Amino acid sequence: MLILTRKIGEGIFLGDDIRISVLEIRGKQIRIGIEAPTNIVVLREEIYQRVQEENLRAAGVRDVDLKEIAKLWQPKKENEPGS
Amino acid sequence: MSLDPEKTSTEGVAATIATKNFGDIVVREDQIITFSPGLLGFGELRRYVLIEHGQESPFLWLQCVDKPELAFVVIDPAFVLPDYQLGQINGIRKELEVEDLKDLRVLVILTIPTGSPQEMTANLMGPLLINLANRRGKQLIIEHPQYSHKHRILPAQT
Repeated sequence: MLILTRKIGEGIFLGDDIRISVLEIRGKQIRIGIEAPTNIVVLREEIYQRVQEENLRAAGVRDVDLKEIAKLWQPKKENEPGS
Repeated sequence: MSLDPEKTSTEGVAATIATKNFGDIVVREDQIITFSPGLLGFGELRRYVLIEHGQESPFLWLQCVDKPELAFVVIDPAFVLPDYQLGQINGIRKELEVEDLKDLRVLVILTIPTGSPQEMTANLMGPLLINLANRRGKQLIIEHPQYSHKHRILPAQT
């Protein structure tokens, strides 16, 4: 891992078009500014991990019987208001 | 673009997949959806086909072409949450080269616990966006306080 030391207001460029800057430090919290093109996905690590873990969990399901599941679904549909 | 496993011709065959759920299925190049990057956690697996479960069923299979044992159960989020919104999608729209919004298909992945399908949940945080025109797809991540990665679909059994 590359480790750099920055002061408030200073930044780091990742490539030509992503800039990360330190905006504020308050106790144990640091506010970070990220300037990046709209096609770059910027996410908090835990959000990314949550989706990844859920993908793995969904893929881990074995022998799903969609016929059974569709049956569970039908009564739900009939119970919906307006149906 | 989703395919019926029973109606496949040998024309333009791209792959035969020995699937877990449907036996051998033959897919054509023009049925393959490419996710780039792949789904989170499955980055290197990019080619999938959508398989309809049945006319009366809202469920679909997203079957991986390159790993036969990998398949996800997916559903249009409108069935789960009628007012589900993706928010700002200009970036991904450009990325997937979506010209007409009608071509953009949105699906969410279901997690179905073995033995207790009643407990199944939909991952509303990580919808799949597919451009049906060029068959390019991507998993988006949405941060929205009301969209859980474990959104329960069916009421708890009493």
